[in-house]
Amino acid sequence: MTDFSVIGKPANANRSREIVTGQARYCPDIRLPGMLVGKLLYPKIPCARITRLDVTAARMLPGVVTVLTARDIPGENSYLYALPADQPLLVLDVVRYQGDALVAVAAETEEAAQAALDAVQVEYEPLVGVYDVLEAMKPNAHQVWSDRGNVCDHLVIDHGDIEAGFKQADVIIENTFYTPLVEHAFMETEGAVAYPDAATMVVYSSCQAPHRDRMQIARSLGMPENRVRVITPHIGGAFGGKDEAHVQIHAALLAQASGHPVRLIRSREESILTHVKRHPVIIRYRSGITRDGKLTALHAEAIGDTGPYLNAGRDVMNFVASTLSGPYFVPNARLEAYTVFTNNPICGAMRGYGIPQASFAYEAQMDLLARAIGMDPLEMRMRNGLETGMQVPTGVTIREGRGMKVCLQEAAQLSGWKEHEKENRRPAPHLRRGWGMASIWFSIGMGRNITDHAAATLEMTLDGSVILLTGAADMGQGAHTALAQIAAEAIGVNLDAVKVVTPDTDRTFDAGPSVASRQTFISGNAVLRAAQPIRDALLQTANEITGFPINILQLREGLVLAEGEVLSLTMAELAAKAAQRNRSLHADGFYAMEYPEQLPPNSYRYAPAVYTYGTQVAQVLVDIETGQVTIEKLVAVQDAGKVINPGGARGQIEGGVIMGLGYALMEELLVDQGSTQNPNLGTYLIPTAKDVPELTVKIMEIPEPYAPFGAKGLGEPPLTPTAPAILNAVVDAIGIPLYRIPLTPERILAAIDSQRAENPENGN
Amino acid sequence: MDEIEVHLNVNGLPRSVQTLPCSTLLEILRDKLDLTGTKEGCGVGDCGACVVLMDGQAVNACLVLAAQADGSEIITVEGLAQDGQLHPLQHYFAEKWALQCGFCTPGMIMSCYALLLNNPNPSPDEIREAIAGNLCRCGSYQGVVEAVLATAKISAETRHD
Repeated sequence: MTDFSVIGKPANANRSREIVTGQARYCPDIRLPGMLVGKLLYPKIPCARITRLDVTAARMLPGVVTVLTARDIPGENSYLYALPADQPLLVLDVVRYQGDALVAVAAETEEAAQAALDAVQVEYEPLVGVYDVLEAMKPNAHQVWSDRGNVCDHLVIDHGDIEAGFKQADVIIENTFYTPLVEHAFMETEGAVAYPDAATMVVYSSCQAPHRDRMQIARSLGMPENRVRVITPHIGGAFGGKDEAHVQIHAALLAQASGHPVRLIRSREESILTHVKRHPVIIRYRSGITRDGKLTALHAEAIGDTGPYLNAGRDVMNFVASTLSGPYFVPNARLEAYTVFTNNPICGAMRGYGIPQASFAYEAQMDLLARAIGMDPLEMRMRNGLETGMQVPTGVTIREGRGMKVCLQEAAQLSGWKEHEKENRRPAPHLRRGWGMASIWFSIGMGRNITDHAAATLEMTLDGSVILLTGAADMGQGAHTALAQIAAEAIGVNLDAVKVVTPDTDRTFDAGPSVASRQTFISGNAVLRAAQPIRDALLQTANEITGFPINILQLREGLVLAEGEVLSLTMAELAAKAAQRNRSLHADGFYAMEYPEQLPPNSYRYAPAVYTYGTQVAQVLVDIETGQVTIEKLVAVQDAGKVINPGGARGQIEGGVIMGLGYALMEELLVDQGSTQNPNLGTYLIPTAKDVPELTVKIMEIPEPYAPFGAKGLGEPPLTPTAPAILNAVVDAIGIPLYRIPLTPERILAAIDSQRAENPENGN
Repeated sequence: MDEIEVHLNVNGLPRSVQTLPCSTLLEILRDKLDLTGTKEGCGVGDCGACVVLMDGQAVNACLVLAAQADGSEIITVEGLAQDGQLHPLQHYFAEKWALQCGFCTPGMIMSCYALLLNNPNPSPDEIREAIAGNLCRCGSYQGVVEAVLATAKISAETRHD
């Protein structure tokens, strides 16, 4: 099917009317009778033994209804994202980072809740802690866990023979790259509202994984899962930071203990201090290349500071390792990743899941390789770019790889890459202009041997309208809009005939978490599977009524057609007739990620199957007096498989690029001895409208054979090429290699100053 | 602390509320008047999610104390649509995908509304300046610029009719 009536056509976001009128309810907007205010107590020092924790006085205060410590949790006192479940909900003995919660309170007012926290008596015996990832790896370092070692995981992916590969190289270069600790800064902080309703605990949760929330809440409340009901209201952004549970379990515990509805919303400062971050990673690269620009060998080693708890840390670092070779054919590679415990903030999922760090490093290294052999960066990438049928170090053979070079060439074309040399590189004595490019590959879905499936349910009513029930959370990325479009196209109705029932674990089935850019692909396939039997029932009925054979009948935009001619039979009549004939007009669809190809023995266990590609080109102007970088132009070309919703796709790409721009230029959480120094949006800066340059966005549609209508995920990939493209452009502008983001004015000036110190006669 | 009585005109209706003098306009709107369209993103004036109009000026409602707001005329996002008809800004915010998660949208719309009151035909740079205090982590800024331009265009056409 190529002639779509809904797919790829402009459509407003599902529920956008509620948003623009202020009617959209997010967790902080939910009001229930008798609702209490929940709050959590966080420690004053990031690493300590608790010698005394006394809540007696807090419990006596007026307006205070419930005060909970670790001892008061009826079920398991831990989050459960990955095993071992090492992170307590409430800490009893040892504080391992600034975001550990000690006490949960529920009170009649905000003031009473704060007073209760102030009245808790805590005494600490400070521990020395470990706050530097390289220190943490040393044998005599402070051990974050007495029984686990600070190196939580060391993954090695071996491919080919790197010794032989380095022997074939004409040039070998080694560099070390550094990425910062980064904050999600979703505009709505983490929150939940919980209330007991008869024997069920109902929890409104601002989350990415409602069904995983249900399991975790039930486990800690000591209730069966069917007695916990998780509902997602509107969600004000997430970007990975609401993948693991945050305060929803605490809110439910407080509601259970108090018998009242409890609202628990983190303040902005609490949010920044507590939730998981994007890992700061140190990446060492050793690459071998021939004079004519062919990569022969690569040894890359990534070290990630994951904080004190497992969370998604090991999984993210595994993604780093599996991505380190980039969208290039590397015949011999050793890719390593260390996941290291410290007493710094916990790191886990953030948009990109390790791939932004890896992409930054391999693309910076690609340009330095090109520079080392005097080759144009575009030519260098064309010579090594992945193609269909090539095998990558994880053992996967690329089944659709055209996107790499198609995006690269398109970006080069759109940005006028070959004409740069004619442009003025020195528009003023203090200004330097430069160009940089970066290409990425990005895996869609969670990876082999990891649970990765979704259910969706469709019902056609007797007037021909459709209800789509999905358990997939929409945090703003547009999943519900895209899924409604897929449903409308697959059944043959208009988009406005589809209503979306949003996640509610009493009504919708598990679609897995909204992560890994997976919902369009996986829930999309589940919707297709749910649509098929409904469409079949309608067509069968139409055949019986009209006598036309099924192969000439068509359902489209709510009409019934035979050989393209609209029949007088309406969709409503057809639906009613089908029901009269005892045909089911509702169906569940279930889809699990498919891995049809067999990998060679000893391949990377979690190797993904589907990749998407993109290239970005940045033009920058650097003020060598102030160190200020201005992005003059940014071209983003992204493979999307097939665009489901043009507005949503554009939003995801532009939004990704802007987040990538922040990563490149300004975003860094500053942590001193485990304490975050910039825990608010006035000191942790994210891009504003004035920081965004002229963006040229182009989407390439190279259909993915296993995807719904060919559509691949688009949520994360567009942010990954931005930072390396900008870094490469800055390096091109000032002629000095740089290895660390963000590119703050201070860092750029320091690089220029050190260059001047080395070459005092060089006026540059 | 004793409560004070604050008189406001909110979205065209006279309202009076009993509130602590240290409470903010944002708390009055959200907690006393149940106008939860106006959001709190930071509570300290960094993000712009709580922008409303106070006597024709865009303000961060989290930075206005109850007593400062006394006697003023407030317009919030709930006050834009008339008889179920969206204001053109609201219409174009949806159509141009000037929103994704929507949490910054009410404040963003109100900053744009204030801009258009004072400058009915703004340039893209003037729009970016007007929303520089409204953070959008989804990065829908370009859509916002387009929505404001479309609103200015349709408003000019309506005026000339």
